[in-house]
Amino acid sequence: MIGDARRIVRDTVLTAEICVIGGGAAGITLALALRNSGLRVLLLESGGLQEHAPTQALYEGEVEDELLHSPTDKYRQRRFGGSTTIWGGRCVPFDPIDFDARPWIPNSGWPIAYDTVARWYPAANELVEAGAFDYDARTARNGGMQPMIEGFAPQEFDVDRIERFSCPTDFAGRYRHRLERAESIRVLLHANVTKLQAARDGGRISHAEVRTLDGGQFRVQADQFVVATGGLETPRLLLASNDVHADGIGNAHDLLGRTYMCHVAGTLGTLRLNDAKVWHGYDRAEDGTYCRRRIALTEEAQHAHGLGNLVFRLHHPRIPDPAHRTGALSAIYLAKHLISYEYGKRLTGDGPTNARTWLRHVGNLVTDPFGAADFLTHWVRHRTLAARKFPSVIIRPRANLFSLDFHGEQVPLPESRVHLAAATDPFGMPRIRVDWRYSPLDVRTVATGFALLRQEVAESGIGSLSLDPHEADIEAMVRRDGAYGGHHIGTARMGDSEATGVVDGNGRVFGVNNLFLAGSAIFPTSSQANPTLTIVALALRLAAHLQSRATTPVDLTTRPATLVESGA
Amino acid sequence: MPDTVQFAPARVLVVGATGFIGHRLVQALAREPSLLPVAASRRAVPIAGIEAVACDATDPAAMTRALAGIDLAVNCVAGNDAAMVTATRVLCDAARRSGLRRLVHLSSMAVYGDATGLVDERTPATPPLSGYGAAKQETERLVREWEQDGGRAAILRPGCVYGPGSEQWTGRIARLLRAGRLGDLGPDGDGVCNLTFIDDLVAAIITCLTRDEAVGETFNIAMADPPDWNAYLVRFARALGATPINRLSGRQLRLESKLAAPALKLAAIGTRVARLSVRMPDAITPSLAGLMRQDIRLDVNKAAHLLGLGETSLDWGIAASVRWVDGKRGGNTADTLMETRAS
Repeated sequence: MIGDARRIVRDTVLTAEICVIGGGAAGITLALALRNSGLRVLLLESGGLQEHAPTQALYEGEVEDELLHSPTDKYRQRRFGGSTTIWGGRCVPFDPIDFDARPWIPNSGWPIAYDTVARWYPAANELVEAGAFDYDARTARNGGMQPMIEGFAPQEFDVDRIERFSCPTDFAGRYRHRLERAESIRVLLHANVTKLQAARDGGRISHAEVRTLDGGQFRVQADQFVVATGGLETPRLLLASNDVHADGIGNAHDLLGRTYMCHVAGTLGTLRLNDAKVWHGYDRAEDGTYCRRRIALTEEAQHAHGLGNLVFRLHHPRIPDPAHRTGALSAIYLAKHLISYEYGKRLTGDGPTNARTWLRHVGNLVTDPFGAADFLTHWVRHRTLAARKFPSVIIRPRANLFSLDFHGEQVPLPESRVHLAAATDPFGMPRIRVDWRYSPLDVRTVATGFALLRQEVAESGIGSLSLDPHEADIEAMVRRDGAYGGHHIGTARMGDSEATGVVDGNGRVFGVNNLFLAGSAIFPTSSQANPTLTIVALALRLAAHLQSRATTPVDLTTRPATLVESGA
Repeated sequence: MPDTVQFAPARVLVVGATGFIGHRLVQALAREPSLLPVAASRRAVPIAGIEAVACDATDPAAMTRALAGIDLAVNCVAGNDAAMVTATRVLCDAARRSGLRRLVHLSSMAVYGDATGLVDERTPATPPLSGYGAAKQETERLVREWEQDGGRAAILRPGCVYGPGSEQWTGRIARLLRAGRLGDLGPDGDGVCNLTFIDDLVAAIITCLTRDEAVGETFNIAMADPPDWNAYLVRFARALGATPINRLSGRQLRLESKLAAPALKLAAIGTRVARLSVRMPDAITPSLAGLMRQDIRLDVNKAAHLLGLGETSLDWGIAASVRWVDGKRGGNTADTLMETRAS
């Protein structure tokens, strides 16, 4: 059932076997996976069913360098469904190498093996609605997917690896009715957890303090707590709960909030192809999912050159530069004000639009009106109106001219961190301050990866790959998009021991018997992959672990349910 | 398997023998050494090697004639709701005089109405009931009344009977999938799809004709572990090659059920009035849309324990369905052979 925390009688103590804090991808997955377990689950979600500005504003915080990191209330949504309400839907599993301790990457290595996560990927893929768990272009579709660049078979890269796309599925919209029907699940909306109260000896969480924006407050006691509030909010709550553990819960070794990673990403270079047949768009698998090939740096190459994980995608030329002479791209540029912040950010170019640039885009539109019209028709039909959305802008440039999208691993760096600011939110909870840093290795991954690909393109004779003159400084290119939106990773990392991690391989906070963390905060490394699929897989794994740990049921609430809640 | 060895095979009247279930049943009965089917329908349609009798099921005199010399009967009458009720009343009344030893009556899961959760045979109906569900409920009442008067009957409540010959749950669904009008329905397809493979239902009917444990009982007949509607639609579409499968939005489905379905209904009436022989497109009616959301799961434990019935796997059932659909499309209207059942 789904209820409203604002109706809970002040100072009530609610109890449950499992209390999940945060109703995003991880929290909803946990609740769904536990709904037939016989355990009573209480899921506390700060937001409601719609976006609500004062709630969203609770995410506001400070950023050390605004050029490097987006404002903290962007790319994440404080509402039921969390950031799945705005995500792009790209699904990619992590690679086996991501779990290895790699000598050339400090602080790398997971305490759990790839297989322990991989066994949950098929079920995760189903939940995110990205079809079958098949990420191989040769088998993802009957007869295999079309080649990206015909005749191009590089040594250092794998061109048969793909990404698949979720609808993109909003977990609240899609699974709300399942949670409503589940008798052992109680979702409370508008419930803000402001503090985890540790017992006097610090060894367990005795209760969570819950507040509502209209002045309500109550407590939740549970056998086990799971914090699933994302990579920025998780360290915030643990750092702010600092009365018993003076440095915050799980922070005995000063790891909490550190090794904050996103991805390094952007668009780079010019790929000129001779007459090679090129397909840079999507194929659809029989199950309807959109699939797309990527150019992935092989594990061998990562070993040989001492690089992080990296993928490239074939991309249309950079939109802000009117030199592409493509009407559809100019149309997007001119309509950039209609595109949400999260997706429009990269359209802003390197500076403010001048009249000349603007006119040249209008010129493109005038000289290529059918290209723009075709694009628009396709977009409206297959994106705006479709339930399974065409994932991204795919525009065939007028010449056989492409750029490369790169999406690379950011290595864990202790100086890159999230900590508490002096300012507080309306509940008196300290806001966050983000100090995101990247490493020279992140830049080297992209630069060397690019150089390797350039060499392979030249040797294959299919064309040439070059850096545009102003891209000579790869570091500037990596920095241009800064911390790539929305992937908040590593701030409460998994480790073998409390000297190297905030949580153990099951997600339990070291030293606290009944506190678990879910979500990308616990990833020790960031991979080349977008995090959502792995967040869901790990949440499924955690649900199974919690179920096996659970003891005999206790009463859900200290008062009769009818007294404390009269419906959603 | 019969409880008693009989020297002469029992004569089984199948009322509604030209319908989807009746037709398949008659063919199966013909292979049973201890049973001899007699196919009753409005017009006696000859089926090779099978005794046929013309019988308007709503006509008491005709029914009395048809029951002469009959040992067992199966009520597979379809048609409109009122005719179904009348035919059942006529059948039970005629049976009061004919000395019919046993009746197997086909009802439906529709008698549970809007019930949700795991539903066994004692679960009361949750209103509202569809017209069809209310009619089936009334036919059950008539059969039980006859039982109180000394009749012996078993009532079967199948789910969605699919497989070769099923227009409603196989032919229609296949056409809608191929037209891209059904597919992955997201939250609108999360309801439980209580499928009953046609040959499993036929096997259940034959078991009820021959096993004394069935008398006086009502049985849910469906898959023990049913898929949800999305899973059925997606697996069926893949097997049909109706790919890539479309994801349909709630908006599209509402347009279908609230706008297109009534329009198609009106158009169908219009073409009937004008005596045009036009094949109307299938409609996704509000009741179908509602069923695909309904979280009702038939509890089939009783049938499994009392009658020892197994079931056909969904893969097998879908493969047989696809062969039938493709055979029809290829212009092969000849009747398909009874599929060999998976054990």
